[in-house]
Amino acid sequence: MALGQYGPMVLSLALSASWGCCFFGRSMRPAHKIGILYSTSGPYAAIGRDCRDGAEFALAQCSKVMPGLVEPIHVNPDANLNGYVEGALSMLRDMGCRHIIGTVTSAARKEIIPVVEKHDGLLWYTCPYEGFEANANVIYTGACPNQHLIPLFGYLLPRFGKRPYLAGANYIWGWEMNRLARELIATSGGEVAGERYLPIAETAVERLIADIEKLEPSFVLNNLIGPSSYVFLAKMHQLALRNPAFSPERCPVVSCDLTECELGQLGPEDGVGQLAAACYFDGLDGADNRAFRVSFAQAFGAERRVSSIFAATYAATSLCMEAIHGASTDDPLAVRQRLYSKTSQTILGPLRVDAETHHAALPFHLGRINREQGFDVIASLPAIAADPYLTARRVARRPQLRVVS
Amino acid sequence: MTFTPNFAHWRATVLHRPDSNTDKLIRQLRLLGFVVEITWAPPSADAIPDLLLVDADQGWDGLLPWQGADAAPCPLVAMLASEAPSRIAWALEQGAGAILAKPLNTSAVYPALVMASARYQERVETRERISYLEERLRLRPLVYTVVRLLVERGGMTEDEAYAVLRSSAMQQRLPLETIAASILAGTQPMPETG
Repeated sequence: MALGQYGPMVLSLALSASWGCCFFGRSMRPAHKIGILYSTSGPYAAIGRDCRDGAEFALAQCSKVMPGLVEPIHVNPDANLNGYVEGALSMLRDMGCRHIIGTVTSAARKEIIPVVEKHDGLLWYTCPYEGFEANANVIYTGACPNQHLIPLFGYLLPRFGKRPYLAGANYIWGWEMNRLARELIATSGGEVAGERYLPIAETAVERLIADIEKLEPSFVLNNLIGPSSYVFLAKMHQLALRNPAFSPERCPVVSCDLTECELGQLGPEDGVGQLAAACYFDGLDGADNRAFRVSFAQAFGAERRVSSIFAATYAATSLCMEAIHGASTDDPLAVRQRLYSKTSQTILGPLRVDAETHHAALPFHLGRINREQGFDVIASLPAIAADPYLTARRVARRPQLRVVS
Repeated sequence: MTFTPNFAHWRATVLHRPDSNTDKLIRQLRLLGFVVEITWAPPSADAIPDLLLVDADQGWDGLLPWQGADAAPCPLVAMLASEAPSRIAWALEQGAGAILAKPLNTSAVYPALVMASARYQERVETRERISYLEERLRLRPLVYTVVRLLVERGGMTEDEAYAVLRSSAMQQRLPLETIAASILAGTQPMPETG
């Protein structure tokens, strides 16, 4: 499988800058198989589709300059945990994949990690998550709390007040995010206005809304996911119409996992003015992002927007292929060493993956939902090194946000 | 859990012969912020680290410089491949607050350390509480002596005398036994009736 085994001639051809020569190398070497494991159906299909499309787009672009390097193997587990395990097993054991780009939920990731470890593969995880993990067989290009929640609270507590309300899904994401939020609030000398959890996919949010109306918090941290979150935002919009004290300008609802790919699930006015943290927004300025959006629009149409999870999966897939190409093998150890050795230019900006935490340093952006189903970026921080176990928090200085608009 | 358990700058000793498990363990400990030392020699009682991880498969009586679970001077994690009761018992007797199974799964390390540290803290607090209560129990006869004196000299019932002593203790925010001892030692006057 390794390019090297065909001798130095092929190796030098493949590494040469003249890609025309690659025809020869390609004909002698089978493509490296890359597993793409996302649920493109089921309750979180919108997220899974954006991840899959990000991976596919990167594969398509890379195949122009590195033809025949990799071949994707797609499995759709249909939001079924067993489906993830079976998919990962078949990729690693039967199809000859050494790399899987996949999983959105922590439950699915935790489920397949033992399979990836057993077959000495590498999982590329690209979604924001709650941290407290740094597996040697995983590369994380999704943000962990010191890259989303901590800078988010650093921005919100002084501006909106220290009495937030915490809403969450009964799931690890909601529990752990709200636990850390309580810690951040206590450390700042504030108090939790209230806290409530809903079962996953619960859409009866009336008591939650009544609670918020009664308690009048400074802002609301929304750790609901999927349909619960969409209904909650819609009802908060109705509450704001009834009582302007709950308008997004005065009491915003903020999320760490709401992206462009889900805004279409909201009514046209429901989310406008609400806030979200992400490592990327479609509306970011800069020549690189404008150029990326042009090529994106050619592939997916002018209507669709680039989400942070599309961008993070696109970046991870590109990094994976560059590293396989650079290492001349898909051996996970060689790929990881290649990856750790350099900073790569990506759609998320210059990106470095740390050799100890296996996490990417990521920028922080705060976006405000606009009327065009996108986000206006209202504050940004340059790349923050991931601290998945929050070991640096007690000595870290509070980051200063640069307000850009 | 109010605050995120944080091991930054903690000193950990891994009491285990180096192997692939300890390689993985040490990498994970460093990631969590520990300063790590690995050795397979009995540690000295006057150089106890902040946390100790010990090979419970190979550990012998006398390896650790203390006797009995309650005497453990720091959080202890037992690393164990065996399922034999004798080895689990050894880990318990040393005061282990958590077990890390071998072959090591790195995702088990942080939870085990948090668990062992919390159990150790709990044990320290329980020990302090017990010695405080034992001290009070030891001084209890002094309370009775003062109550008898109040009954004899102040013409109170036992219940009244006790209430007077108790309110004096509450005002001074000191245990009843301490007040009684200082009254008998003559360093504070006999309380007056309410």
